[in-house]
Amino acid sequence: MSKLQKAAWFNLVMITVCFIISIPCLFFLARVNAKGIEYLLTCFIVACITTPVFYMLYRKKSFEAGFDEREKMINRRAFSCAVMGLTVFLACVCFIPFFVLGGQNVVKVYYLPLIFLSTLFAAQFVHSVAILIQCLLEEEDGQ
Amino acid sequence: MGSNRLSNNLRRLRFENDHMTQQQLADKAGVTRQTIIAIEAGKYAPSLPLAFKIAQTFGISIEDVFQYENEQS
Repeated sequence: MSKLQKAAWFNLVMITVCFIISIPCLFFLARVNAKGIEYLLTCFIVACITTPVFYMLYRKKSFEAGFDEREKMINRRAFSCAVMGLTVFLACVCFIPFFVLGGQNVVKVYYLPLIFLSTLFAAQFVHSVAILIQCLLEEEDGQ
Repeated sequence: MGSNRLSNNLRRLRFENDHMTQQQLADKAGVTRQTIIAIEAGKYAPSLPLAFKIAQTFGISIEDVFQYENEQS
Protein backbone atom coordinates (compact mmCIF):
# COMPACT_ATOMS: atom_id res chain seq x y z
CA MET A 1 0.00 0.00 0.00
CA SER A 2 1.38 3.36 -1.05
CA LYS A 3 1.74 6.42 1.16
CA LEU A 4 -1.18 8.08 -0.63
CA GLN A 5 -3.48 5.12 0.05
CA LYS A 6 -2.43 5.04 3.70
CA ALA A 7 -3.14 8.79 3.95
CA ALA A 8 -6.55 8.28 2.32
CA TRP A 9 -7.49 5.48 4.74
CA PHE A 10 -6.26 7.55 7.70
CA ASN A 11 -8.26 10.55 6.48
CA LEU A 12 -11.37 8.42 6.02
CA VAL A 13 -11.15 6.99 9.53
CA MET A 14 -10.35 10.33 11.18
CA ILE A 15 -13.12 12.27 9.47
CA THR A 16 -15.59 9.53 10.38
CA VAL A 17 -14.46 9.68 14.02
CA CYS A 18 -14.84 13.48 14.04
CA PHE A 19 -18.29 13.20 12.46
CA ILE A 20 -19.39 10.57 14.97
CA ILE A 21 -18.21 12.79 17.85
CA SER A 22 -19.71 16.02 16.48
CA ILE A 23 -23.22 14.85 15.58
CA PRO A 24 -24.29 13.64 19.07
CA CYS A 25 -22.78 16.84 20.53
CA LEU A 26 -24.83 18.91 18.13
CA PHE A 27 -28.03 17.07 18.99
CA PHE A 28 -27.20 17.45 22.69
CA LEU A 29 -26.84 21.21 22.21
CA ALA A 30 -30.12 21.31 20.32
CA ARG A 31 -31.89 19.26 23.01
CA VAL A 32 -30.75 21.38 25.99
CA ASN A 33 -31.55 24.47 23.91
CA ALA A 34 -28.22 26.04 24.92
CA LYS A 35 -27.52 29.56 23.70
CA GLY A 36 -25.18 32.50 24.41
CA ILE A 37 -22.36 31.69 26.88
CA GLU A 38 -23.74 28.20 27.56
CA TYR A 39 -23.55 27.40 23.91
CA LEU A 40 -19.99 28.77 23.61
CA LEU A 41 -18.82 26.74 26.62
CA THR A 42 -20.24 23.53 25.18
CA CYS A 43 -18.69 24.31 21.79
CA PHE A 44 -15.35 24.84 23.56
CA ILE A 45 -15.59 21.40 25.17
CA VAL A 46 -16.45 19.83 21.82
CA ALA A 47 -13.49 21.66 20.22
CA CYS A 48 -11.19 20.29 22.95
CA ILE A 49 -12.21 16.79 21.86
CA THR A 50 -12.08 17.28 18.08
CA THR A 51 -9.08 19.64 17.71
CA PRO A 52 -6.43 17.01 18.55
CA VAL A 53 -8.00 14.76 15.91
CA PHE A 54 -7.89 17.54 13.30
CA TYR A 55 -4.33 18.40 14.37
CA MET A 56 -3.29 14.82 13.67
CA LEU A 57 -4.94 15.11 10.25
CA TYR A 58 -3.39 18.38 9.14
CA ARG A 59 -0.10 18.57 11.06
CA LYS A 60 1.87 18.05 7.85
CA LYS A 61 2.82 21.31 6.13
CA SER A 62 1.67 19.97 2.80
CA PHE A 63 -0.50 16.96 2.13
CA GLU A 64 1.29 16.38 -1.17
CA ALA A 65 4.82 16.52 0.27
CA GLY A 66 6.60 13.28 -0.47
CA PHE A 67 4.15 12.14 -3.16
CA ASP A 68 5.34 11.40 -6.69
CA GLU A 69 3.79 12.88 -9.86
CA ARG A 70 1.16 10.13 -10.33
CA GLU A 71 0.01 10.45 -6.73
CA LYS A 72 -0.22 14.23 -7.06
CA MET A 73 -2.33 13.75 -10.20
CA ILE A 74 -4.59 11.27 -8.38
CA ASN A 75 -4.91 13.74 -5.52
CA ARG A 76 -5.87 16.56 -7.90
CA ARG A 77 -8.52 14.39 -9.58
CA ALA A 78 -9.83 13.34 -6.16
CA PHE A 79 -10.04 17.01 -5.13
CA SER A 80 -12.15 17.73 -8.23
CA CYS A 81 -14.42 14.81 -7.30
CA ALA A 82 -14.66 16.17 -3.75
CA VAL A 83 -15.72 19.61 -5.03
CA MET A 84 -18.33 17.96 -7.24
CA GLY A 85 -19.53 15.79 -4.35
CA LEU A 86 -19.68 18.81 -2.06
CA THR A 87 -21.77 20.76 -4.60
CA VAL A 88 -24.21 17.90 -5.20
CA PHE A 89 -24.52 17.19 -1.46
CA LEU A 90 -25.06 20.87 -0.61
CA ALA A 91 -27.67 21.18 -3.35
CA CYS A 92 -29.47 18.09 -2.04
CA VAL A 93 -29.55 19.13 1.63
CA CYS A 94 -30.73 22.62 0.75
CA PHE A 95 -33.26 21.84 -1.95
CA ILE A 96 -34.82 18.61 -0.63
CA PRO A 97 -36.31 20.34 2.50
CA PHE A 98 -37.41 23.20 0.26
CA PHE A 99 -39.38 20.89 -2.00
CA VAL A 100 -40.57 18.57 0.77
CA LEU A 101 -41.65 21.25 3.29
CA GLY A 102 -42.57 23.98 0.86
CA GLY A 103 -41.31 27.54 0.56
CA GLN A 104 -43.39 28.97 3.44
CA ASN A 105 -42.35 26.41 6.08
CA VAL A 106 -39.56 26.70 8.70
CA VAL A 107 -36.58 24.50 9.68
CA LYS A 108 -34.87 24.28 13.06
CA VAL A 109 -31.67 26.30 13.53
CA TYR A 110 -29.59 23.24 14.40
CA TYR A 111 -30.09 22.18 10.80
CA LEU A 112 -27.51 24.85 9.74
CA PRO A 113 -24.41 23.51 11.59
CA LEU A 114 -25.60 20.03 10.66
CA ILE A 115 -25.43 21.04 6.98
CA PHE A 116 -21.93 22.46 7.52
CA LEU A 117 -20.60 19.34 9.28
CA SER A 118 -22.25 16.96 6.84
CA THR A 119 -20.89 18.87 3.84
CA LEU A 120 -17.36 18.77 5.28
CA PHE A 121 -17.72 15.06 5.92
CA ALA A 122 -19.14 14.41 2.44
CA ALA A 123 -16.29 16.30 0.74
CA GLN A 124 -13.59 14.49 2.74
CA PHE A 125 -15.33 11.16 2.26
CA VAL A 126 -15.55 11.59 -1.52
CA HIS A 127 -11.91 12.78 -1.63
CA SER A 128 -10.60 9.72 0.22
CA VAL A 129 -12.80 7.25 -1.64
CA ALA A 130 -11.82 8.80 -5.01
CA ILE A 131 -8.12 8.34 -4.13
CA LEU A 132 -8.65 4.70 -3.11
CA ILE A 133 -10.70 3.87 -6.22
CA GLN A 134 -8.16 5.48 -8.58
CA CYS A 135 -5.27 3.63 -6.92
CA LEU A 136 -7.20 0.38 -7.13
CA LEU A 137 -8.06 0.84 -10.82
CA GLU A 138 -4.49 1.71 -11.79
CA GLU A 139 -2.93 -1.15 -9.87
CA GLU A 140 -5.37 -3.98 -10.53
CA ASP A 141 -3.35 -5.28 -13.52
CA GLY A 142 -0.02 -4.79 -11.78
CA GLN A 143 1.95 -7.42 -9.90
CA MET B 1 -10.91 10.81 -34.57
CA GLY B 2 -7.70 8.94 -33.69
CA SER B 3 -6.73 7.36 -30.39
CA ASN B 4 -3.28 7.87 -28.86
CA ARG B 5 -1.46 5.20 -26.90
CA LEU B 6 1.88 5.14 -25.15
CA SER B 7 3.39 1.66 -25.01
CA ASN B 8 6.63 0.71 -23.29
CA ASN B 9 9.25 -2.02 -22.92
CA LEU B 10 9.77 -1.53 -19.20
CA ARG B 11 9.14 -5.14 -18.23
CA ARG B 12 11.54 -6.50 -20.87
CA LEU B 13 14.18 -3.91 -20.00
CA ARG B 14 13.99 -4.73 -16.31
CA PHE B 15 14.57 -8.40 -16.99
CA GLU B 16 17.43 -7.63 -19.38
CA ASN B 17 19.06 -5.53 -16.64
CA ASP B 18 19.84 -8.26 -14.10
CA HIS B 19 16.18 -8.90 -13.36
CA MET B 20 15.76 -5.48 -11.82
CA THR B 21 12.70 -5.37 -9.55
CA GLN B 22 9.97 -2.77 -9.81
CA GLN B 23 11.03 -1.42 -6.44
CA GLN B 24 14.67 -1.01 -7.57
CA LEU B 25 13.55 0.85 -10.69
CA ALA B 26 11.18 2.98 -8.63
CA ASP B 27 13.98 3.91 -6.23
CA LYS B 28 16.30 4.87 -9.09
CA ALA B 29 13.59 6.94 -10.81
CA GLY B 30 12.47 8.56 -7.57
CA VAL B 31 8.86 7.36 -7.69
CA THR B 32 6.77 4.74 -5.93
CA ARG B 33 6.52 1.09 -7.00
CA GLN B 34 2.81 1.68 -7.70
CA THR B 35 3.77 4.28 -10.32
CA ILE B 36 6.09 1.81 -12.07
CA ILE B 37 3.28 -0.78 -11.99
CA ALA B 38 0.84 1.72 -13.53
CA ILE B 39 3.35 2.73 -16.25
CA GLU B 40 4.13 -0.91 -17.12
CA ALA B 41 0.42 -1.70 -17.38
CA GLY B 42 -0.03 1.30 -19.69
CA LYS B 43 -2.46 2.91 -17.26
CA TYR B 44 -0.34 5.98 -16.59
CA ALA B 45 1.64 8.06 -19.06
CA PRO B 46 4.68 9.48 -17.25
CA SER B 47 5.79 13.09 -17.53
CA LEU B 48 8.69 13.88 -19.84
CA PRO B 49 11.23 14.33 -16.99
CA LEU B 50 10.22 10.96 -15.48
CA ALA B 51 10.37 9.24 -18.87
CA PHE B 52 13.91 10.61 -19.35
CA LYS B 53 14.88 9.53 -15.86
CA ILE B 54 13.67 5.97 -16.53
CA ALA B 55 15.52 5.87 -19.88
CA GLN B 56 18.70 7.13 -18.17
CA THR B 57 18.37 4.40 -15.55
CA PHE B 58 18.67 1.81 -18.32
CA GLY B 59 21.31 3.89 -20.19
CA ILE B 60 19.27 4.04 -23.40
CA SER B 61 17.29 6.67 -25.29
CA ILE B 62 13.70 7.51 -24.45
CA GLU B 63 12.44 6.08 -27.78
CA ASP B 64 13.81 2.67 -26.82
CA VAL B 65 11.68 2.66 -23.69
CA PHE B 66 8.49 4.38 -24.78
CA GLN B 67 6.69 4.18 -28.13
CA TYR B 68 3.92 6.53 -29.18
CA GLU B 69 1.19 5.05 -31.33
CA ASN B 70 -1.37 7.23 -33.05
CA GLU B 71 -4.17 5.00 -34.30
CA GLN B 72 -6.39 6.62 -36.91
CA SER B 73 -9.92 5.24 -37.09
